[in-house]
Amino acid sequence: MTPHPPETLLPAELSAKITAFVIRLRVRHGFLVGPGEAGDALRAAGVVDVLSKRQLRDALRAVLIACPEQARIFDHEFNTFFRAEGSPAPPELPPLLPETEAPGAEQDTETTPKKQQEGEGQAPAPAAPQPGEQPELTPVQAQPQSESKDDPDDSGGDVQTIQTRLSPNAGAGGEVRAEEGELRELLRAATALIRAVELGRSRRLRPLVRGPKLDARRTLRAAARTAGDPALLRWLGRQRRSPRFLLVLDGSRSMGRDAALLLRFAQALSLRTRRVEVYAFSTGLRRLTPYLRQALPGQALTLPDLGEAWGGGTRIGENLLHLTRHERERVNRDTLVLILSDGLDTGEPEVLERALRDLKARAGRVVWLSPLAALPGYQPVQRAIRAALPHIDALLPAGDIDDLHRLGRRIGQRN
Amino acid sequence: MTSAADLTDPAALQAAFRVQGYVAGDALATALRLVPALQKPLLLEGPAGVGKTEAAKTLALALGTRLIRLQCYEGLDAQAALYEWNYARQLLYLRSAEISGGRVDDDELYGERFLMARPLLQAIQQDVAPVLLIDEIDRADDAFEAFLLELLAEWQITVPELGTITARTRPHTILTSNRSRELSDALRRRCLYHWVEYPTARQELEIVQARLPGIDAALARQVTDAVHALRALPLGKPPGVAETLDWAAALLALHRDHLDAASIEATLGAVLKLREDQVLAAPTLRGVAGRAEAG
Repeated sequence: MTPHPPETLLPAELSAKITAFVIRLRVRHGFLVGPGEAGDALRAAGVVDVLSKRQLRDALRAVLIACPEQARIFDHEFNTFFRAEGSPAPPELPPLLPETEAPGAEQDTETTPKKQQEGEGQAPAPAAPQPGEQPELTPVQAQPQSESKDDPDDSGGDVQTIQTRLSPNAGAGGEVRAEEGELRELLRAATALIRAVELGRSRRLRPLVRGPKLDARRTLRAAARTAGDPALLRWLGRQRRSPRFLLVLDGSRSMGRDAALLLRFAQALSLRTRRVEVYAFSTGLRRLTPYLRQALPGQALTLPDLGEAWGGGTRIGENLLHLTRHERERVNRDTLVLILSDGLDTGEPEVLERALRDLKARAGRVVWLSPLAALPGYQPVQRAIRAALPHIDALLPAGDIDDLHRLGRRIGQRN
Repeated sequence: MTSAADLTDPAALQAAFRVQGYVAGDALATALRLVPALQKPLLLEGPAGVGKTEAAKTLALALGTRLIRLQCYEGLDAQAALYEWNYARQLLYLRSAEISGGRVDDDELYGERFLMARPLLQAIQQDVAPVLLIDEIDRADDAFEAFLLELLAEWQITVPELGTITARTRPHTILTSNRSRELSDALRRRCLYHWVEYPTARQELEIVQARLPGIDAALARQVTDAVHALRALPLGKPPGVAETLDWAAALLALHRDHLDAASIEATLGAVLKLREDQVLAAPTLRGVAGRAEAG
């Protein structure tokens, strides 16, 4: 065994502090860290120079985070927890699961086209937070830890002060409730959709009764029982490929209750397959996949404050472009991209076109679901929809659960 | 060549990496030091071309140990990753035994001489801990990931015909991922984690000078500044460190000493690999050329 660094015995006070830090990450931010990770954190601290704050932070980060999205939370909490005596505490991060209300849950649904192209989404001037009011976090892209900061160890840390302001586009707060009966219907719709998507055969070979390829291993096994004569042939074949889904959900004000329905449909799809990625956008973009995975079926679906990704204006093109640029690895020929939006956009159609051209080139299929398309006499006259039509495989209605039930069949007909 | 004991000293580890032309930041060096200390694999995630695979290769060189690489792909199964029986030889052996009238039992037919060890089995059979690189784990499917969990947890492999094989030494294991698929929480929990970001302009300049010692300092700076300007654009395929090095090497090969418009035009394919990106970046590159000619 390779010799490894000797572990230093940590002072009891530091051990207790590291353990408390691990518990805080788990309880307050939902990190999947238990006693095993706490033990690893203590051992990691024993390997590095604990007098160097940066080394301690790097070591604990390597042990306690599991994705880049957690890095920002970790850094903030570390700097709060291990700050020098007497230095002011940075602003508190909100806990993992406060509640965000679906747009329209408490307001009238806006299904008639609003000021279709101009003015919608112009954010009002940010209001100053009231005294004692908790300001909301500005949504930021996950900032993986950078190694470029020249932060001296004893400077009190490179406190990544979280910019706070009152988002003009945030939802009103509250709960998205999914009724159990409705969830059952949505699960049925999700199952139908998964079954309907035909992507051909996977590359993995599996034992089959009849197949195109001889299974040498199992044939030889059988031959050993017939004196080396391969009399009983065994076969391999390729199974049907499972689709991946990328759902991009418009959470802007104009979507109203439709956004809540489609969000619950996204949750149902997440319950049916792990190969789902869900993003919400309004004027900003936010990945929802982890929250939907954590949500328990049959219970109210609660989301954190999604800030600019929910309940504000609509910037479809910019957000889709951001998605195709920064998450392009998540889109491949197995991916069915579902854009769930009414298409009432304030952005430039050229940007949307470029984003959709990119998506179409990489994805297996791009389908646009519009609640407006379910209205009688609907015509795709919105600028965004007109720009999108040449670059999507289908524009389908998504006004209610019945539309979602028919979604699988409609997509299947286009296979 | 350094020894594994140098992992105890972060400065020595970074120096050993630098000798191999790899500029490792403090956080990456710390994460690498924890691999043997905690006996856990390290999962490196980050954009394409930032040096994740190279980090594993350099670790093997720095430790003076063997690098065993498993390249993942869709459809990769346990047979391709672990072991395979040499069926053709086994069948020939059976036939020859039948002709000579001899008996063949299972122990003979499934003995070591017919076993072809694949990367994972090779990695646990080494007397000296190798560096095991499981590259692009996100390209493998869920079934393979589940299979990998047992290995990463127990460091033992069960071959039905041979029994359980336990690792002689635990490999220093590095997994890389481009996030084309969300890895399971179970796999993430078994690993240390480090996100490899694009280097800063200063770090990238060091990398270029470490990899291409003959390069003119001014040209190296122009190349790294230009690459950073390009990464700020909404490109379809932003240039990674590999592209920076390719671009600098191409300029060296053409005996250019600064980034004028002609040099950029001649070597643009080394840094931007999509036609639309080249069109999008044209104004930025004109600015780069202008500054280089003025400076």
